[in-house]
Amino acid sequence: MSSAPEQASRATVQGQERAGARGWLYRLTDPRVLFTGIAVFLLAVIWGTALNFAAKERTAATRTAGTLTEDVANTYEAQVVRALREIDHTLKLVRYELEDRPPGEVLEDLGANGLLLPGLLFTVSIVDADGDVVATNGDASGRNVAELDFFREARQADGMAVGLPRRDADTGEQRLHFARSSGSDGSGFPGVVMVSVHAGYFVSGYEPSLLGEQGVLGLVGTDGVFRARRTGDAVSAGEVIDYESLVADDGDGSARVRVNPWDGVRRYTVARKLFEFPVAIVVGLSRAEQLAAADQLARSYMWRAGAASVLALAVVALLGRLTWKLQWAHARVTEERIAHARRVEYLAYHDNLTDLPNRAFFSRLLTEKMQHARRYRKNLALLFLDLDRFKTINDSLGHDAGDELLQEMARRLRNAVRDSDTVARLGGDEFVILLPEVTSPAQVPPVAEKILAAVGKPFTLVGQEFRVTVSIGVTLYPDDGEDEQTLMKNADVAMYHAKEQGKNNFQFYSEELNADSLERLALESSLRNALERWEFRLFYQAKQSSSDGRITGMEALLRWEHPELGLIPPLQFIPLAEETGLIVPIGRWVVRSACRQNVAWQNEGFPPLSMAINLSARQFLDENLLDDIRSALRETGMDPRLLELEITESMIMRDMQQTIHILNDLKAMGVRVAIDDFGTGYSSLSTLKEFPLDTIKIDRSFTHDIVRSAEDKGLTDAVIAVGKSLSLTVVAEGVETAEQAEYLRSRSCDEFQGFYINEPLPPAEFAQLVRGKMR
Amino acid sequence: MTGLPKQLLTTLCGLVCSLMIGTAAAEIVVVVSRDNPVDSLSRTELADIYLGRMDRFPNGDPAMPIDQAERSPAHDAFYNDYLGRSPAQIKAHWSRLIFTGRGQPPRSLKDGDTVAEFIADNPRAIGYVDRSMVGEQLRVVTIE
Repeated sequence: MSSAPEQASRATVQGQERAGARGWLYRLTDPRVLFTGIAVFLLAVIWGTALNFAAKERTAATRTAGTLTEDVANTYEAQVVRALREIDHTLKLVRYELEDRPPGEVLEDLGANGLLLPGLLFTVSIVDADGDVVATNGDASGRNVAELDFFREARQADGMAVGLPRRDADTGEQRLHFARSSGSDGSGFPGVVMVSVHAGYFVSGYEPSLLGEQGVLGLVGTDGVFRARRTGDAVSAGEVIDYESLVADDGDGSARVRVNPWDGVRRYTVARKLFEFPVAIVVGLSRAEQLAAADQLARSYMWRAGAASVLALAVVALLGRLTWKLQWAHARVTEERIAHARRVEYLAYHDNLTDLPNRAFFSRLLTEKMQHARRYRKNLALLFLDLDRFKTINDSLGHDAGDELLQEMARRLRNAVRDSDTVARLGGDEFVILLPEVTSPAQVPPVAEKILAAVGKPFTLVGQEFRVTVSIGVTLYPDDGEDEQTLMKNADVAMYHAKEQGKNNFQFYSEELNADSLERLALESSLRNALERWEFRLFYQAKQSSSDGRITGMEALLRWEHPELGLIPPLQFIPLAEETGLIVPIGRWVVRSACRQNVAWQNEGFPPLSMAINLSARQFLDENLLDDIRSALRETGMDPRLLELEITESMIMRDMQQTIHILNDLKAMGVRVAIDDFGTGYSSLSTLKEFPLDTIKIDRSFTHDIVRSAEDKGLTDAVIAVGKSLSLTVVAEGVETAEQAEYLRSRSCDEFQGFYINEPLPPAEFAQLVRGKMR
Repeated sequence: MTGLPKQLLTTLCGLVCSLMIGTAAAEIVVVVSRDNPVDSLSRTELADIYLGRMDRFPNGDPAMPIDQAERSPAHDAFYNDYLGRSPAQIKAHWSRLIFTGRGQPPRSLKDGDTVAEFIADNPRAIGYVDRSMVGEQLRVVTIE
């Protein structure tokens, strides 16, 4: 309906297209996108760096651990080999000595010369073929080892037997036994030389500083039995493991991470079979311990990265928020500006009283819709509305009430039509409704009826219930006009026609109407000049007493003598004068002229005839009415008692207080007051009593049917009765037949007026009539 | 330090030691040959010599520590009193040193008399014996 928002949205669309053209750059400048991007970037850098460092640390730690394990393994291998060789060497030395000397002497002699292994750790014993210990440098004397594995092995095989670990009965420690047979080739003592040492000896090289608490150092036989194994301070021996899987795949001797089956600890492990002896060394560094530092470092990197992330996010969030606030403030200023601009535009295009589109906006809309209709070959209907009694209400109740009425009417009109229809206020009490897409004229009447019904509903204003009607003129596009001006003008013409047809109806425009309208326009313009050109005339109609036929007075009747159109009856120009307001100066002229005429006739010696003058509603409400009458009386010297002002019933009912006030003032001047067309309104007897009246006139509509209609008879009787009861003079208007006159006379109606007795006459003829009667 | 408290201390120490090892053996003393100029050593120096960390006396002369037989009362008493170490600790210590090839334990002789005899003949030697065995050729080293 409104094109201002449409234009605004069009502008927005164009803006978006421009934004689309600049695409990603535009989106980047949005602080949400920009700062999220920065935050993501910073987090990526921080965590990327931290994870990279952590990974590097770990890699380095892994490599170090592997290298360290291999180093320890190399050292340990060398130590084990040397220790075993020393033992083997001792065994061979003792066996060699046994070739020449008895066992006891051999050990004593070798020991004395420091050729035996230190007695602190090692026990060297000589066992005979039956397994009895025959000589020892320790406390193994008297034992028999015939059933033990190393003894049997030494007896059977050639090399050094490496016995299974065996718990010492005295000390409780695990001991290892190494044995070689002697005298097997027939020379020397036939038996076995053996060396025993506690198992912990082979793992005493365990350095906690290198191997940690969870490292492992071990010696395992090719039979899969651990000869010694140490982890931390715990030394054990004797567990059986799968030798093949531990040693077999260890081709290059490098460390590899594996879970050690004996204690389930994951270690960098080296297991290496010794070249000369049936044993393998096992070295392991706990993976957890070796990587602990790296893990610790990695964790600290993560913590630092976390802290840095929080800091970065906080800074970015702060900056983002500030920027966002700034932008928001900026956007709000822009929005306010746009809103203000919209408001200004709205005000420029809307009536501020009713909020409806105004004349300018409607004009634009109409042009647009007409273009649209032309392009798609469609019809439009234009309804021109004018409230019928608005001026009166506005004048009598004040502008506030008038405004309220207009607002109410605007609401009703809007509710009476569809949303797609346009209701606009052109100004004053003029509204216009545009019905787009009307396919046939037949669609209009229902809408118009609906509008008439909506407007005609009663409503309350300043505590009084009112009923307003509207006159509607309808034009169709393109039949009744192809341009805005013509269409509007013709609708206006049709509206006036509706007014002429009695208001509260709608009329379609036609060519004839236009002709009438032209005539009316001509009339209006000449009416304005009529006063100056002395074109008005007063005719006088006599009033006669019903009892004796005596002329009691006259009613001044206005006629317009148009230079071209001839004599124009009041019905044709009085409404026009009312509408244009010309009625006031014209009425003033009427009063003055009538008074002057009356005075002139009085001076001629006429009897005191009353002079009745009609006041129009507009005149009656004119604030200068009393002054005008007063000055007319003074200037002409007319006897106020002879002046009778006729007002209509509807006029006095409009504002009773004011009416009573005016009537009282008139009364004070001595002027008489008559109610014209009595009986057509709704005034009750009681209200009538309130008014200081002198005369009531029975409306010509009653008089007309008085003989035929029983109803009108009754009404007339009632009016007469009312007048009598209030001691008023009762005058019957429009008496045209003898029957009517007879009936009224029978009902004691005071006076007659009408063609039956006297038609309205120019002053000269009227004077003759009076003179005739006087004679 | 005056002589009386030192004497008292030594007596007390000996008494405690004899009670601990459950023998009538009296005080163990550190001795060298009379030809050896050393007459006093600190406990640390004694421990260093006996644990293989030092092979010379503080004056620079080579030192040869002599042990008595393992598990003999004199052996255990010496290590306990002078070095403050148990036999097991001593064994573990030497076990590691021997295995890693970083030293050899002191030469071990079977009893106090043998030790006394050996030291008397070897000016470089240092040993420990029961005070009763200290003869002419030996000198008691004061351990501070």
